[in-house]
Amino acid sequence: MHRRAIPFVRCTSANSYAQRDRVGRPALSAKAGWGTLLGSRSLIVSGGPRLGVSKKNKGMITLFQVILSGLAIGAIYGLIGMALAISYYVTRVINFAQGQLLMIAIMVVAAISSAGCSPWIAVLAGLAASCVIGVLSYVVAVRPILAFDRFSFGWLVSTLGFAVVVENAAAYIWGPTSRPFPPLLNSSSLHIGGAILTQQQLLAIVAAIGLAAVFELVRRHTLFGKLGMAIAADPEMASAIGANITVVAVVAFAISGLFAGIAGILIGPLTFANPYLGDTYGTYGFIAMMIGGGTEKPVAAMFGGLLLGILSEGANALINSQASDWFPFLVLVVILIFTPRGLFSSGNFLLRLRPAH
Amino acid sequence: MNGKPVQVSTPVGRMGQIAARLKQAAGLLVVVGYVLLTYIVANLNLNLQSLVLVAAVFGILAISLDLVAGTLGLYSLGQGGFFAIGAYATTLAATDLNINVFVLLPVILAITGLSGMMIGAMSLRVSGLYFAITTFIFTLIITVLATDLQITGGTQGLLGPPFPDFPQSLTVLGSSVAWCAMLSLFAATALVWNIRKSPLYPVLLAIRDAEPFAEAAGARTALIKIGVFGLSASLAGFAGWLFSFLGVVSPGQFDWAVSLNILVMVLLGGINTTLGPLVGAAFVSAFPAVVNINPWLQEIIYGALSIFAITVFPEGVVGIIKRYVFRDGRSETIGRADQQEAAPVPLSRPNQALMQHGPAVDEIMVECRGIEFGYGSGPKVLRNVDLIVKRGHIHGLIGPNGSGKSTLANVIAGRLRPSSGTTTVRGSRVDRFAPSDRARLGLRRTFQAAELVRELTTRQNVLVGLYSSVPGIVRRAAVWPLLPSGRRDMKQMQTRAAEALLSAGAGDWTNRRVGGVPHGIEQLTQLASVCVAGPDIIILDEPATGLSTREVDHLARILSGLKAQGVTMIIIEHQTRFLFPLCDQVTFLNAGEVILTGTADEVRANSVVRQVYLGE
Repeated sequence: MHRRAIPFVRCTSANSYAQRDRVGRPALSAKAGWGTLLGSRSLIVSGGPRLGVSKKNKGMITLFQVILSGLAIGAIYGLIGMALAISYYVTRVINFAQGQLLMIAIMVVAAISSAGCSPWIAVLAGLAASCVIGVLSYVVAVRPILAFDRFSFGWLVSTLGFAVVVENAAAYIWGPTSRPFPPLLNSSSLHIGGAILTQQQLLAIVAAIGLAAVFELVRRHTLFGKLGMAIAADPEMASAIGANITVVAVVAFAISGLFAGIAGILIGPLTFANPYLGDTYGTYGFIAMMIGGGTEKPVAAMFGGLLLGILSEGANALINSQASDWFPFLVLVVILIFTPRGLFSSGNFLLRLRPAH
Repeated sequence: MNGKPVQVSTPVGRMGQIAARLKQAAGLLVVVGYVLLTYIVANLNLNLQSLVLVAAVFGILAISLDLVAGTLGLYSLGQGGFFAIGAYATTLAATDLNINVFVLLPVILAITGLSGMMIGAMSLRVSGLYFAITTFIFTLIITVLATDLQITGGTQGLLGPPFPDFPQSLTVLGSSVAWCAMLSLFAATALVWNIRKSPLYPVLLAIRDAEPFAEAAGARTALIKIGVFGLSASLAGFAGWLFSFLGVVSPGQFDWAVSLNILVMVLLGGINTTLGPLVGAAFVSAFPAVVNINPWLQEIIYGALSIFAITVFPEGVVGIIKRYVFRDGRSETIGRADQQEAAPVPLSRPNQALMQHGPAVDEIMVECRGIEFGYGSGPKVLRNVDLIVKRGHIHGLIGPNGSGKSTLANVIAGRLRPSSGTTTVRGSRVDRFAPSDRARLGLRRTFQAAELVRELTTRQNVLVGLYSSVPGIVRRAAVWPLLPSGRRDMKQMQTRAAEALLSAGAGDWTNRRVGGVPHGIEQLTQLASVCVAGPDIIILDEPATGLSTREVDHLARILSGLKAQGVTMIIIEHQTRFLFPLCDQVTFLNAGEVILTGTADEVRANSVVRQVYLGE
C-alpha cells in the first residue's frame, strides 16, 4: 500500500536501478562473485513505470477512468509490441534490443533539448536515432545469424548482446541517472464524464491508433506491404520471385525503430530520460505482442497492448498498487493456454490457410 | 536379439580392443585430472574460489538447459525458476527447520523434478517460441513470489545455510563446498554424456526433429518429453541447492534475465554438445572478473563479444570445433569395416507367429470399417472407407492425388483420429491407441516425405527404429555406458542397424548424415528403420518415390523377401508397374471413397480406374 503514496509521475525504474547499484555491483551478489551480467538486466520485478490512475480522487476511481488511463499506457505498450512484431514479421526474430531503441529516442531528445535546441528538432533527431540503431541491430545482430541458418536461435544471443551494448553505451555517454525530458505539451487535461485524461495521454492514444491504422493500410494495400506479407509467409519463395529480402528487412527494422522511438517520445515526459528504461518497456511490449497475436499480424499487437494497458490499470485499481507487476503475466499465461497464437491473430487454422487479402 | 551376433573379424577386432583400452585409459586420465583440479580449486583463495564455484553452478544450469534445448528443442526459460525453488527451499528448510542438507537434497530433486514435469506437460500444447514464453512466465512468477512473500526475505533475500565442513582428518583437502560443487558438476556432465551415448539420444533428436517418426517407432513421445524436462528441472534444482551454500539467496539472482543468460551460455558454447554449455558458462561467469575495467565499458565489450562469437561461430565454440575436428572422415572407415563384416542377412527377423502357426492366410491383420475423416471443418477426405488386409498379403493402395491414401494410412497408424468408423489391428480394436501403442503391436510405417533426423547418420536413424524392441532404454539411459548390458545392447543394436541398412541397399551410406544423402537413400533408410524391428505389418507411403530404376527393382526384391517371411504390407504407390506385380489385393480410392478392391488385374481392367487414374 505504501506505493500508493508515490505521486502520479514516477520513475520507479530509475529508482530501482539506483537501489540495485548496478555500477558498484549489488552488495549481495558481490559476495558470490558473479558479475553484473547475471541478474543485472532485471527490472520487471521491481515494477514497471505506470501512467498511473490519477490519485486526486483516490478511492473513487471509476471504471471509465481505469479504461482511459489503461488505453493511454496500453497505446505505448501496443506501439512497442507492434515494433517488435514488425521486425518479427519479416525475419522471425524477436529483437531483444527493441526496448533499447525506445530508450535511445528518449535519451537523444533529452540530450539535444538540454543543449538548448528546440524540443521539436530534438524529437526528430530522437526518432532518427532510433531508426538508425534499429537498422544497425539488423545489420549487426540479425542478418549474419540468419544468413547462416534461418532457423537457428543464435539471434537470441546477438540481439541480447546488442541490447547490452546500446544500454551501457548510453549509460557511459549520458550517465546512469535520470535526466529531465522536455515537456512537449502543456499540462492541461480534459475532463470526460468524471474521468481525467491529460493531453499527453490523449496524444498517446491518438498517435498509436493512427500509426497502427496507417501501418495496416500500407501492409494490405501497397505492393511493398504485400511483399512483406510474401516474405513473412515464405522467404525462399519470395526471393525466388525476385523480392529483395534484405531491403524489406532493413525497412522493417527502420519502421520498427520508428515505432519504438515514437513510443519513447510519448512516454518520455513521464519517465524522464534514463538509460535503463529499455527492458521494462521491451518486456511489456513483448507481452502485448503475445497477447494480441502480433506474431502473425503486427496490428494485433496494438490491440494486445491496449488490452494489456486496461488490464494492468484495472489490476492496480482493484487488487493493489503492485498488481500490475504480475497480473499481466497471469493474463498472458491464461491467454496462451487457451489460444496459443494470441487473441487477435488471424483466426483459426483454416482461415490462415486462405490466401491473405 | 536375432540369435546370430555377427562375429568380429580378427584384425579389426583387435584394433577395437586396443581402442577400447585406450578409451578406458583416457577416461581414467580425465577423472584423475578432474580430481586434481578440484583439489586445486578447493585450496584457492576465497575470491577466486567463489568465482569458480559460481561458474560451476552455472555450468550445471547450462547443462540442464542443454539437455532440453539441445536434444528436445524445448528452449526453456524456466531454469531460473527451478534454480530459485532449489535455492530457496534449501535455505528455508536448512535454516528454519534445521534439516540436514544432504537429507534435503533428494527432496529438492523430487520437488523441482515434479514441478518440471508439470511445466513440461505444457510443451505438449505449445512449442518453440511459445514454450519459451510460458516457461519464462513461470520464472517470473517464482521471482515475484520470492520478492513479495514475507518468508523469503523480499529483495534483500536470505543468507544461505553453511555447508558442513570436512571432519578434522580431511581438512587437508581444503574447502568442502568446493569439492561438493566440483563433483556435482562432474556428475551432471557425466549424466548428460551418458544419455548422449545411449540409444535414447537418437530417439530424443527424433522427437525434436521428426516427432511422427519417433512415435511410429513406438516411443511415447509425450511421456519422454515430460520426463526429460523433469530431469532437467531436477538438475536446475540441484544447482539451486548448491548455490544456497555460496552466500545470499535473493530474487535478483533467479529472474528471467538469468534464465536468458543460461540460454546465452548454451548457445555461445555450442548447443547439443557435451562440453559446450560448460565453455559458455565459464565465459559468461568469468568475464566480469577477468576484464576488470569501467563497468559500462566492460558490459559493452561483453555484448560486443557475444555478438561477435555467435556470428563467427553460429554453432557455438564447441560446435565449430566438432565440425572441423570430427568430420565425416573418421567414421567413414569404421563404416566400411562394418560393412565387410556384416553378412547380407534377411532384412527382417523370421516372423514368430508365422513360425508357430504356419501361414494362416485368412487371418485379418488390419481391418477398417466405415472410416470417415475430414480435416477441420472442411469436406470429408475419407467417406465410409472399408479396408481389409489379410495376413501375409501385400495390399496396394492407389488413387489420384488427394484421394485420401495418405490420410487412410495415417488413420490406420493412429496419427489421425477418424470422426467415425473402427480400426482393428490383429483382431484387437485400436481406435483409442496412440501411434506408439500401435507400433508396439507390430505395426510400422514409413512417411511419404521422409521423417528422419538430418543431423544423425543413417545408422543412428535406424537405431530409432529399434526403440521398442530393446527393453529399458529410458530406464537405463542415465547410466548407459557404465552398464555392461548397456554396452552389449548398444553393440548389438549398432550391428542390427548396419545389417538392416545393408539389406535395404543403403549399406554404402551407413555413417553418412541424413542431411547429406540423396532422396532415395532417405527412403531406404526409412525402410531399414521400419524393418529392423521385425514388424508384422508395414505401411509404406510411396516407398519408390525418388528411387532410380535399379533401386526400385531392389526394393521390389526386398518387399517380396519380406512377404516370404510373412510380413503383411500396405503400400501406397503411384508406380503401378512396380506395385501391381507385388500385390495380392489392390484398393482404388477416388475422392475419399473406395471404388474397388480386387486383384491387380481386376483393378487394371476396371473402367473407372482406367478413366480416372491410369489415363485412357
